[in-house]
Amino acid sequence: MDWNLSPEQDAYQEALHDWLSDVAPQDTVRRWLDAGDAAAFEKLFADGGWAGVGLPEELGGQGGGLVELALTAEELARAAAPSAGWLATVLAVPALALAGHRDIAELTLAGETAAYLVPAESVPDEAPRLSVDEAGAISGSVPRVLAGGTAARFVVPTVPAGTRESMPSRTAEGAPRAAVDGRELRLVEAGVPEITRTSRKLLDRSRSVADVSLDRAPSRRLELADPAEVLRQAAARAAVLVAADSLGASGRMLDLAVAYSKQRRQFGVPIGSFQAVKHAAAMILVGVEAARSAVYFAATSVDAGDPEALLHAAAVKAQVTAEGSRTAESALTLHGAIGYTWEYDLQLFYKRARLDEKLLGTPAQWNERIGDGLPLV
Amino acid sequence: MDFELSEDQETIREAVRELAANFDDQYWMEKDQAHEFPAEFYRAFADAGWLGITTPEEYGGHGFGITEASLLLEEVAASGAGMNGASSMHLSIFGMHPVIVHGSEELKRENLPRIVSGDLHVCFGVTEPGAGLDTTRITTFARRDGEDYVVSGRKVWISKALESEKILLLTRTTKFEDAPKKTAGLTLFLADLDRDHVDIRPIAKMGRNAVSSNELFIDDLRVPAAHRVGEEGMGFTYLLDGLNPERMLVAAEALGIGRAALRRAVRYGNEREVFGRPIGMNQGLQFPLADSLARLDAAELVLRKATWLYDHGKPCAREANTAKYLCADAGFQAADRALQVHGGMGYAEEYHVARYFREARLTRIAPLSQEMVLNYLGEHVLRLPRSY
Repeated sequence: MDWNLSPEQDAYQEALHDWLSDVAPQDTVRRWLDAGDAAAFEKLFADGGWAGVGLPEELGGQGGGLVELALTAEELARAAAPSAGWLATVLAVPALALAGHRDIAELTLAGETAAYLVPAESVPDEAPRLSVDEAGAISGSVPRVLAGGTAARFVVPTVPAGTRESMPSRTAEGAPRAAVDGRELRLVEAGVPEITRTSRKLLDRSRSVADVSLDRAPSRRLELADPAEVLRQAAARAAVLVAADSLGASGRMLDLAVAYSKQRRQFGVPIGSFQAVKHAAAMILVGVEAARSAVYFAATSVDAGDPEALLHAAAVKAQVTAEGSRTAESALTLHGAIGYTWEYDLQLFYKRARLDEKLLGTPAQWNERIGDGLPLV
Repeated sequence: MDFELSEDQETIREAVRELAANFDDQYWMEKDQAHEFPAEFYRAFADAGWLGITTPEEYGGHGFGITEASLLLEEVAASGAGMNGASSMHLSIFGMHPVIVHGSEELKRENLPRIVSGDLHVCFGVTEPGAGLDTTRITTFARRDGEDYVVSGRKVWISKALESEKILLLTRTTKFEDAPKKTAGLTLFLADLDRDHVDIRPIAKMGRNAVSSNELFIDDLRVPAAHRVGEEGMGFTYLLDGLNPERMLVAAEALGIGRAALRRAVRYGNEREVFGRPIGMNQGLQFPLADSLARLDAAELVLRKATWLYDHGKPCAREANTAKYLCADAGFQAADRALQVHGGMGYAEEYHVARYFREARLTRIAPLSQEMVLNYLGEHVLRLPRSY
């Protein structure tokens, strides 16, 4: 197998990297994060045309698939840029596009956020569903929705009122439950008075969540042939993109740790000359390189509809984000107490990598899914 | 709180260390390679009276506790004798506990002094192919026939059976399906290993090759009722008394191997020069060894606490299990690191760490796997639901 990014993909990553270095240098990003202001960056991002990447050209996007989105996630993480809105949107857009909501896709291009109404810590297709009545009104509460405080609209996994809402959309064997039981994806506008939102603070300020309550909020059914499959694909994409985010944060932490170990001197020598420090940095590099290979393989696999794509996605979410957490710990150790300070940038990436481990499903949950897909008892 | 060993305990430790030092790594390598029981070593320890360390004085022993026995086996293992040395005497030292507590006076008078003198080799026959740690599921059956029992069945992983005259044999006298509860209907014997009725086949294995591990095919073995230990049907209960001491003793052996491995690693790290300096100067080698020292020391403390509790008649299951768990991991990790420090030479028999490595690995499986220890702690200490 010979697999590389195409020249176009390389060029895209480089262009995005340069653009981020230009418009989102670290002190600027810190200002946004300290102020809890993701909107400033989101506007720059949309104005720069980046929001169209990964959106089909027939909907006015720039095309490209999950590999391009993973490159985006990696670079956004490297910059510690606010990205909850972007991630939520790219996960929700396929449902809107497949249902023919061209108008909404255009709003998305303009920088409006769409988000699945599921808890940020859940695997999206395992999250509890809200109940919808016969008139299409949805009621219920969902805690900690990614970009829930700023989203313009939500894609809501629903069940008809009276159905047990906590039932997951997959059977114990991992097969989708039949669509005939009324499980749907529905669209609600976030600005209606029937919806209340309460922002919650995360330790990682580069992402945001909010509790969202709906009290008979009006909704439209998304006309989808197989909504369960659409949601399952969203879960797979979520796994790949969060892993890519972890990869970006890890790469940045490695750069910071190596630079610091060359600059910081103890006992008359740079601490990077100590084997224990060198080996720890080398281990991070091993993790980063393994993550890069796995993430882009999984992205390709999911895009191509490989029969084992969902397992590939689960594997990177479980493995890469767990390794990202270990990288964060190791990078902090290499920095000593300076890494623990607010002033030093490491904390931004440390928190980012730690959240990536839990975001949209823990390694244990994703490993469970791999277990379900293997011929085990 | 007092962390000091008693004067007796210090003396035991010193004396064992001195005696074991007469049998060097070369001796153990040769015994291991020849698959030959260390008869000279065993004889030396028997003659010095060590086999009777826990046996009551009225049967020729010293009547010491598990603390002293664990110090003995730890020092034996740490001398480089490893599991080969420890296993040669392990069962003589504590395996007869059920006989001492529940056996008839006659059974004790007949056997215990001979065990102490080293004349009588014994082995322990519990595990079966169809029932590993699920002991109540054994099927070896003892049928009453007049004044005798007639035993048939299979046993597996019976250490030292090849060298033994007798076996402490667990049987069923009531079948599992007929027993009022699963732990009832098991009966323990101290039986003669009559080769006409017991076929003993050594198992080819990874290490500890100076002491055999065997599969036993028992066919109509006649055992006099007088050789029964305690009452019929109570065998399982009698065995339970010995589980914690056994875990502590294997913990001590694992700890000893870890010490032996660490000693060799440190010596090699100081002697071997590459790139113009001793390899022990490399943090990549020095730190893992220092880490192993810390882990061995920590594991040792839990072991000491466990044996102290047992000897003071206090509950010790939590500590005994924890000690076996931590000592086995620390001992194996030390052996693995010692091998790594030796580089290619670690893979050669002449540096002995490969032998330690193979034997240390055993302690993560025997007498029960690390996972079963976690089951115990999870279920009985943390009060979580039984997981298996």
